[in-house]
Amino acid sequence: MAAGAASPIRRAKGEVLHDGFLRHAGFRWLKIATLICVLSIASYMLVDVTPRHNGGSWYGYAMGTIGVLLILWLTLLGLRKRAMTRGRWSLKAWTSAHVYLGLSLIVIATLHTGFQLGWNVHTLAYALMMLVILSGLFGIAVYATLPAALSNNRAEMTQVQMLDAVRAIDRQLHDAAQPLTHEQAALVRQSLEDDPFGGGLIARLSGRYPRCATARAQAALRRWTGETPDTGNDPLERIDALLERKQAMLARLRRHLKLKALLEIWLYVHVPATFALLAALTAHVVSVFFYW
Amino acid sequence: MSFLVRQISLTADGREIVRAATIAQAQLSLGRAAESDIHLPDLALEPDHARIEQVDERTIRVRATGTLGFELEGRTVLRAEIDPAKGAELRFGGHRVTLSRGDDGATILSIRRVDAVSEASEEKEETKVFSLRGLLPGKRLTAWALALAILIGFLAIPIWSYAGRPVDDTRNIYKMVGDKAWSSGPLSQAHHALEGRCETCHQKAFVSVRDSACQTCHRDAHDHAPAARIAMARAEGGLGDKLLAGVAAAFGKPPEGACVDCHREHEGAGPMQPTQQAFCTDCHGTLKDRLKDTKLGNAADFGTSHPQFSALVQARPGQHPRFSRASLDSRPMDDSGLKFPHDIHLSARGGVAKMARTMKAQYGFGDALACKDCHKPTADGVRFLPVDMERDCQMCHSLAFETIGGTVRTLRHGQPDQVVADLRAYFRSTGPAQPTALGGTARRRPGDYAQGRLYHAYFGAAAARPSRAEDAVTAVFSRGGACYDCHTVTPPGTNGNAGWQVLPVHQPMRYMMNGWFDHAAHRTEKCESCHAAPKSHDAKQLLLPGIDSCRTCHGGEKAKADVPSGCAMCHSYHAGDDAPWVPASRSIGKDAATGGRR
Repeated sequence: MAAGAASPIRRAKGEVLHDGFLRHAGFRWLKIATLICVLSIASYMLVDVTPRHNGGSWYGYAMGTIGVLLILWLTLLGLRKRAMTRGRWSLKAWTSAHVYLGLSLIVIATLHTGFQLGWNVHTLAYALMMLVILSGLFGIAVYATLPAALSNNRAEMTQVQMLDAVRAIDRQLHDAAQPLTHEQAALVRQSLEDDPFGGGLIARLSGRYPRCATARAQAALRRWTGETPDTGNDPLERIDALLERKQAMLARLRRHLKLKALLEIWLYVHVPATFALLAALTAHVVSVFFYW
Repeated sequence: MSFLVRQISLTADGREIVRAATIAQAQLSLGRAAESDIHLPDLALEPDHARIEQVDERTIRVRATGTLGFELEGRTVLRAEIDPAKGAELRFGGHRVTLSRGDDGATILSIRRVDAVSEASEEKEETKVFSLRGLLPGKRLTAWALALAILIGFLAIPIWSYAGRPVDDTRNIYKMVGDKAWSSGPLSQAHHALEGRCETCHQKAFVSVRDSACQTCHRDAHDHAPAARIAMARAEGGLGDKLLAGVAAAFGKPPEGACVDCHREHEGAGPMQPTQQAFCTDCHGTLKDRLKDTKLGNAADFGTSHPQFSALVQARPGQHPRFSRASLDSRPMDDSGLKFPHDIHLSARGGVAKMARTMKAQYGFGDALACKDCHKPTADGVRFLPVDMERDCQMCHSLAFETIGGTVRTLRHGQPDQVVADLRAYFRSTGPAQPTALGGTARRRPGDYAQGRLYHAYFGAAAARPSRAEDAVTAVFSRGGACYDCHTVTPPGTNGNAGWQVLPVHQPMRYMMNGWFDHAAHRTEKCESCHAAPKSHDAKQLLLPGIDSCRTCHGGEKAKADVPSGCAMCHSYHAGDDAPWVPASRSIGKDAATGGRR
């Protein structure tokens, strides 16, 4: 009873609550991975394989086996992450190990190849593995840097609030545009009918929308308002101000979308490439022993 | 004549609010302008967009005032006539107008906003629009597609093609499809023709390449030694080696000594890599420990651990010579049956050199004789031809005995019976001419060399024993005679011979039968740097250099010597008389490029 009451949340020794997966347990997995890399490189140098290193020597088979087991274990993170636990084998520990052991795979697999690459299924597996690792590296980089920017950009707003703000401006634009002539109203409609989530992948990732309808509507509207003084009750001036606000809101929304896209895009490479890698790895292993 | 206009809108919680108004007019205006009879705050409409008028009981006419028109049942039109009894659905911008007839005969126009005010105002699923989900094909879909494509292209198709090939196909025209991507690297130059014909060597699925596959073409590759002896000779490895061998055996690899152990393929185009020293020294490094009866010394490295060379020397010359192998350390004598002092011939001073100088123009001699003046290389330059009396000696050691009409008659070399017969015939037919004092080589004088003039075998014989043929014959074959100086001559009567016997001479072209030495590869060296000929006074002295001489340049495979030399440089695994195999890039022809390395 006493033990249960003392600490409902058990925490592994040395675990600090706000340590990220990169710094987990004092970079334990970074150290382990570094050790693995150093041992691999040293053994590569010391082991005398004739006529030269390749995947088919005993050393090559050994490195290959380690590599395959490592890849399979790394893939298991996809299953493991759906069950969060704490402690030594917490999900954070797994993620930390996933990251650093995954990086050590660069060394292990490259030594397995013996630097013999070509246009074949074996190199395909290697290339896919590197793609997976590099996309993962990108993921780590954005996870480490972008959340702060994302938070700063939001200015305490939620995603839905951002969208609602755009909607509110749209309603006001709609009302304000009622007295306008058809040509002018068409410009406002252009802005209203523009999908703030449109623009395709490139626009989403770059945050650049050169054909933004709101900006174009405002530019076109200013051809009418530019030459007349602002008397204060011209509906066009009101619309101009509303478009200005909408542009500011859209800019914030689009920055948000760009950051979120960058945080997500690597997984669209990482995950499918992983499965392609598993397929290529299967073909690699089977073909090697098929034509042994 | 009235219209019932019902404007339907939705509250936030989805409840319908209907505002109905009866307008008793035959014609209604519809538009965005506030003064329209039907005011639709819709930016897609013109301020005055359309008119709706009752033409008669059964006809309602709708007509656009501008050019924008409206939709009738999905089609865009500028005017339409509708029977209110049948009803119709019209669409103006974002509004839907349903036209029908009420019970009281009035035309009912039900108006409902169907489009949101803006795109942003449409209902959005937050998790979808704020993520990349709509912009990219799903991760799962991509993953499956890629994985399946790879499995089909790189696994299923080659295996299917393998399974479908004809059995016992020896013509090799049914090439497999798709297995090129399985090749881990190009084949070597020699096997280039097999590129893409994987099943030539990889004959059975999941069975590693067997020697039998190699032997389909390489039928005459000799075995190194009987398999049982090789097995006995192989050094037992450490724990690691045993483990590796166990794993290899578990996976069905053939035991050590397979062709592919040394001849690795798929290591890149170009010549196959030479076999590493370790493949030999595994057995030969400590061979004596296991093969007690072997005559071979242990050899682990040319530079540090290699026995002295053994030469095959003639212990007894003659018709039935006896050969034996002897280490050069024991300074073996090689009796070819010839008497020949190298030192006198190579001396820069003395009679031979003087005589050579007089023959410079005719035979290209230098100030003294050199090795090349008598020893001629074979066509490939590897070895030297046996010295030939007529070609290499006779310019000085003439066998001429008579001149008839300008033609010089010589005794026949190598045919003692003919010599005897020729001399007898000469004495029978001719009287002795002017005697001279020329017989054996020792009495030659400078200036007396010319063929057929002064140096006549005959004159020597005739001068000593004039007009007696038998005396002349005896003189030729005896000390001081032309034959005796170089050959071992047995007089008649000994050993039961009736006539004069000259011991046959056997000049070997190769002394080291299991090692290869290529003179052409050493042409940058002087002969004397290896062969101590200028100091040799006896032809029996074997002038082969020992291993120490070689080691001044050659070291082991990994040595820092000028010429690191693996076993394969001199030795061939597959016992044969040919040169050991050397990759083309290191062959003699390209010596210049590699600085004389071989």
